[in-house]
Amino acid sequence: MSAFSRRLPVYLLLDCSASMSGEPLEAVQQGLKTFVNELKGDPQALETVCLSVITFGSVAQQVNSLTELTLFKEPKLKADGLTALGGALKVLRGCIAREYRKATDTQKGDWLPLVFILTDDPPTYLEEFDRQVKDIKTLKAANIIAMGVEPYVDQASLKRITDNVLLMNSASAGDMAKFFAWVSDSIRITTLRFGELPPLSTLPRPKKLDLKPGANIQLAPPPQGFTIVP
Amino acid sequence: MARKKKNVAKAILMDGSELEYVVSDNPPRGGMKHTYFTPNKKFAVQFFNEDKDANSPLIRARLENIIGLYNPTLPESEGGAMGNTEQTAKYFSRLFCWPVALVELPEFGIVCPTYPPQFFFDKKASKAGLNLAGKDKKSTWFTSRTSRFLEKGELGTFQTMLRLSISLARAVRRLHAAGLSHSDLSSNNVLIDPKTGSCVVIDIDSLVVPGLFPPEVAGTKGYIAPEVSATMELPLDSPDRKLPCAATDLFALPVLLYEYLLKRHPLDGPKIYSTASTEEDEFLQYGPKATFVENPQDTSNRPPDLQVTIHDLGPLLEKLFLQAFVDGMHDPDRRPTAAEWERALVKTWDLLQPCPNDQCSAQWFVLHDVNHPVCPFCGARIAPQDVLHLRLKRAIRGRRGQWNPVGEINLYDQMPLFAWHFLANTYPDEKMTDRTMRAYVSHQNGEWYLVNGSLSGMLSPRGSMVPPGQAVWLRQGEMFPACNHQDALLLEVLKG
Repeated sequence: MSAFSRRLPVYLLLDCSASMSGEPLEAVQQGLKTFVNELKGDPQALETVCLSVITFGSVAQQVNSLTELTLFKEPKLKADGLTALGGALKVLRGCIAREYRKATDTQKGDWLPLVFILTDDPPTYLEEFDRQVKDIKTLKAANIIAMGVEPYVDQASLKRITDNVLLMNSASAGDMAKFFAWVSDSIRITTLRFGELPPLSTLPRPKKLDLKPGANIQLAPPPQGFTIVP
Repeated sequence: MARKKKNVAKAILMDGSELEYVVSDNPPRGGMKHTYFTPNKKFAVQFFNEDKDANSPLIRARLENIIGLYNPTLPESEGGAMGNTEQTAKYFSRLFCWPVALVELPEFGIVCPTYPPQFFFDKKASKAGLNLAGKDKKSTWFTSRTSRFLEKGELGTFQTMLRLSISLARAVRRLHAAGLSHSDLSSNNVLIDPKTGSCVVIDIDSLVVPGLFPPEVAGTKGYIAPEVSATMELPLDSPDRKLPCAATDLFALPVLLYEYLLKRHPLDGPKIYSTASTEEDEFLQYGPKATFVENPQDTSNRPPDLQVTIHDLGPLLEKLFLQAFVDGMHDPDRRPTAAEWERALVKTWDLLQPCPNDQCSAQWFVLHDVNHPVCPFCGARIAPQDVLHLRLKRAIRGRRGQWNPVGEINLYDQMPLFAWHFLANTYPDEKMTDRTMRAYVSHQNGEWYLVNGSLSGMLSPRGSMVPPGQAVWLRQGEMFPACNHQDALLLEVLKG
């Protein structure tokens, strides 16, 4: 990376609980691969994006520490156990504390991290979940976008993590491909435009003149069939 | 075959003609439109993402004008821009990817030619670990550290970068001459091919016509003029809010030129503007506090290891870059026009010198000072006997024996010279049809000769005729009219 360029940390929190086993996880695995290749094909993204993957089943763990794209190795995902979403948020906090670079007098800081959560289940281990979401909105340590896979996902618990919640119909290969294409479009737009994330409900229209520096960035328009939870 | 047939749809164009296009599952989707292609991939058919845009009378009127009245890629005789000839139309159709038609059915949309193949990477373009086959050639690939992922043959030379710089300045000059502004010039909207030294301006459909069609996008990070970034927080109708226009194109244009020629961004330096947040730091860097990395009065943003600087681009470009990024950084009226850039770049072309070092990354440099013939890219030095300039002067009308300097050319062995090197009032732009070599330079055994190829009435320093095939011996200090034409330039020989 150029000495004077800023990094955009991107964290993917991927649900690897038992409900994702089989075709869904295969679709995530494939989508992740395409996603990384897509970003590598964009020079701005290649220069600025750093990527980390955190998986959660019965346990949550960071399987890729924050890495620049060219050095990123796709993890081999395995589905198993319950849905430790709270644990994943805890791991995320630790990662951001460790990996996010603040601006100093001599070094450019990172942009606010972008976090994409993908899950198809209500969270388990509710005590931990409650603990983790309590102050997550006020902390503003990252721009978080949650994607729930219908029909079993619990919108309300995602809403406790972030105001930016979307739903997709299924974990089919086609929908998953759309999801990852949308994530990479959103990341690309972030590297081109100024600002931080407004609530999703206010921005179905991308790329308009009301982009305020330091106030608004844009996500790509959601793919057809995906819904924004108001 | 049968399966393929199913996906082909038919568009009815405004003029009633039909165009087939292939309906794909996940069409490439931009901010406003999504794109399908004709079966032969020669045209892109684009539809709006939202009915609101598709039904907007303003957008329709804008596009009708862009395709007709304002179209520099169509001769006036065929409904294109006023004064446009077949020849200039052909010239500009290489520089712009201009929309060619509007779609009426199944819904409102536009038809654009696809970019020529040289603007897509092939599968041999990138190094291992990266597959860029089929991706378009955004200039950032060549002007940032990402160039390390490309094969050497993709990168072009300083000469090819200067060539495409001239093309871009010319394209923007043409838009501005018609009262248009692009309003979102950026590394994403100008594709370049350094291998052939060509560029193409894309995303024409959001052109701004002052007073008629307002801008729709603020622009792209790094190319948005500081006054536009700085006033983004104001309401759209505030009188102090600055929007993209021709003056902001004149910020984006030199940013691109600076990147092409020096492979870095003019605002990306070590300066930390704010430690409060990265977003704030960036806002100040590209907005109200933007500081040119080579600002001679304020060196706070100057990288410690600047090897090649604007000074190495010769006096004409140095002056314009200072005007654009120091005087004009926060004062849009003081930015040089696209026509000034074009002229300075064309004149700088005449000062190009091949670098004697095979390993030099640039291969060419601007030899503007005969007393300091050193390649700034690799440090290779040219021997004094291998340096010769011709100063061109033109007669001042009505004042016999008085001459004005109009340019200087750096000579090297086998260098071709053209009509505009010998005649006043000739200029190698889109209207110049005469691009045949008139003479060439020969440098042998320490001596310099100007060999006549096809320049009629060529004269020697002593005033005798030099027929084609014969040569003039160029010696230090000599000054003589190039030919017996009434517009002949005076040549003055200047040794290193």
